[in-house]
Amino acid sequence: MELEERARDTADNCIACTSCIAACPVTKANPEYKGPKLVGPAHSRMHFSDPSDYEDTLMLCSNCKNCDITCPNGVSVSTLNMLERAKYLQEHPEAHRPEDEMLSHSFKMANMLNSIPFGKQIANLGMTIGEATGMMGVMGIAPERKTPRFAATYFRDMFKNIKQPASDKKVLFFPGCYIDTNDPEVGVAFVQVMNENGYEVLMDNRFVCCGSPLVVGGYIDEARQHADTNVAVIQEYASRNIPVIACCTSCSLMLKNEYTELFAQSEMKEAAQNVWDAFEFLAKLDAEGKLKKVAANSSHKFIYHAPCHLRAQGVGLPAFDLLKSAGLNIVNADAGCCGMSGSYGFHKDNYETSMKVGKDLFDAINSDNYHKVVCDCGTCRMQIEHGTDTKSVHPIQILAKCYKKS
Amino acid sequence: MSKSDVVVIGNGVAGLMAALVSADQGKKVTLLSYGAGTFPLNSGVIDVLGYDDAGKAVANPIEGIGRTADNHPYKKIGMPAVQDAVEYFKKTVADEGFPYVGSLKEQQWLITSVGTLKPTCLLPESLQASKCFDANEIVIVGVKGLKDFYVDMVAENLAKELGSDKKYTTVTVDTYITGRDLTTRDVARWVESDKGYGEFLAQIKNQAGSGKAIIVPQILGTKGNYVVYNKLVKDLGCAVVETTGMPPSVNGIRLRDVLLSALKKKGIRVIENVIAEKAVVKGDTVTAVEAGGEVRAQTYEADKFILATGGFYSGGITMRDFGEYKEMVFGLPVEGDCVEERWVNKQLFSDKKQAFAMAGVRVDSSLRAVDESGNVVLKNVYVVGRNLSGYDFCFEHSGNGVALTSAYKAAKA
Repeated sequence: MELEERARDTADNCIACTSCIAACPVTKANPEYKGPKLVGPAHSRMHFSDPSDYEDTLMLCSNCKNCDITCPNGVSVSTLNMLERAKYLQEHPEAHRPEDEMLSHSFKMANMLNSIPFGKQIANLGMTIGEATGMMGVMGIAPERKTPRFAATYFRDMFKNIKQPASDKKVLFFPGCYIDTNDPEVGVAFVQVMNENGYEVLMDNRFVCCGSPLVVGGYIDEARQHADTNVAVIQEYASRNIPVIACCTSCSLMLKNEYTELFAQSEMKEAAQNVWDAFEFLAKLDAEGKLKKVAANSSHKFIYHAPCHLRAQGVGLPAFDLLKSAGLNIVNADAGCCGMSGSYGFHKDNYETSMKVGKDLFDAINSDNYHKVVCDCGTCRMQIEHGTDTKSVHPIQILAKCYKKS
Repeated sequence: MSKSDVVVIGNGVAGLMAALVSADQGKKVTLLSYGAGTFPLNSGVIDVLGYDDAGKAVANPIEGIGRTADNHPYKKIGMPAVQDAVEYFKKTVADEGFPYVGSLKEQQWLITSVGTLKPTCLLPESLQASKCFDANEIVIVGVKGLKDFYVDMVAENLAKELGSDKKYTTVTVDTYITGRDLTTRDVARWVESDKGYGEFLAQIKNQAGSGKAIIVPQILGTKGNYVVYNKLVKDLGCAVVETTGMPPSVNGIRLRDVLLSALKKKGIRVIENVIAEKAVVKGDTVTAVEAGGEVRAQTYEADKFILATGGFYSGGITMRDFGEYKEMVFGLPVEGDCVEERWVNKQLFSDKKQAFAMAGVRVDSSLRAVDESGNVVLKNVYVVGRNLSGYDFCFEHSGNGVALTSAYKAAKA
């Protein structure tokens, strides 16, 4: 059912205070971009006068959500950008870049490869060859980047072989594409941590990609289908009092906030109540005195990068706080956006902007001899490893290791 | 979440200062923030008291404070706290490498982006207008493509302020940046880059010289320090003065970054993008506030709470129906004229204060809310900045001054 309060109507809350322009990392890096205020709130009101009138620099928005975080008046700036972008691409299909289809639908490729014997290995080899021969650039992918390789075994398949103690306390894991098909060890660590705390982890293969890459690529109708599919599953588990937890902060933001902002359906708003970011959930257990005690005995020094999509959730920095209170020697980089913003930095045209945006973070990481960068977001971690020589890790992996040692 | 000693709600000048001073008392502080605070709209200078009730310029802020009405926040804060707060602020920004000039004893002046003079109390050295008062020739530097800075208008207005016996010349520089219309922050980034600085200097150097003063928009770097300013003064060999600017305010954001840097050093936890929704109250004591994003709220427990959510502009105080001002987090008593015919003076630029601007939480000299009989309502909740009643900061130019000094007093309490 359509909600009365719709994010798209929040454009009228904009008083043009320019906070978002000041906070926007893309505006800072790229003088072509007209800035979030103009392409989002202002333009979403003006185009009603002429449906073909669009501001084409809205394609430069990375949907990092720093505009939303900085807005004092509750304008859903980035969502307005994304809705405008979708309309723009419907009016101007020629504005789609050749790589849009692939970068927005990587889940399709991942699923297909899993059904072919040695499919993933062959695809990985193909990427190596493609990178070596400059094919990536031809396809519109930034040739400087290493494209993420598919894991030999996806998390969905690994999960079947994980032996968990049965428990009445259950959570449903939303792995998200990157953890499922590229970085399954994060999922394994999540199961370990939940088991240590007396929870049994469930998986449901009806879940599909959260839809975040579809939204930024302008495939808004497909994103809506994904939202409806996922929301139905979340609601089913909500009726059994089983919370849904994601370790990827872009997925959790999508499920918690963006579905409702983009599509304004009451079901989405209700389902959001049953979705948690992993460390948001663990922090809640901690506050209730239910988190199993943990001590970090590492002699190494770590640096934490807060993903913008976590900051946008309004839950503080639960992973940083928890690891710090467990005794880990960790500092908060507090250096803004990494510049990757999901698939944004993979576009060849966005590469320069993406690296410029990330520079402050790279400098912070390079300023000291840190053992590892701790970060909840998979694509941030990719960017960090691309822009620095420091390895990165999801905080749940550190927590799992601490439990294992104790 | 583990309990804090102090929870500060709001991240404007009042909120950040309250958090800093609290942390200096050895307290464990959590700051709840929503949005960027007022900094992108804030000149980042500290107006303590620019004009008295009659609209007459105040030459000496400390004397002006003495003459304010009894219900003015300054009277509740008291002179000792006002003086200590100003010193505390000056030390804080100086420690961060961005010292401010000025004192409570003598009003300072700055040049606005339209070329008028405005009184203020504390300001960065680069904005100090008095540096150009003795010059024979004023050179106003514009920037091609920069919005809302018109050199001819600045020259015309400045001539009215500083006298037509001086010579006024203008020059417009090119940043060679193509793309959108430029903001002062864009130009400030250009000037602070090595390449941009070279290009900028080359275009104005022949205009400089002894007896001259160079007036520029707020473009001498985005950071809260004087690196670009000092270099330029040296390279030009004459006085340089920045004006204030249109939003996003470069100097407002410089001040925010400097204060946030100080906050970080003191280990203050900042929770972003949360709206404080309600308080958990036991008798006359608040034990926690619930604050959250769209989906759910978290509980932030503390022994003491400082309310710095602002007035109407920031949503700290609202009026849905005439006759009903409301403070949004604790439901504290708000005083002020809220009758439909009187709550607003329809002549925006008149010589009268606005009733809605005077509306705010009624407090006693401890800065805690009191009921009509003067009894403290919630004993561990302190109210600061624009949440307070009894002053129209736009009219009297006292916004950051009240914010800073009330925050100091509340944090010390």
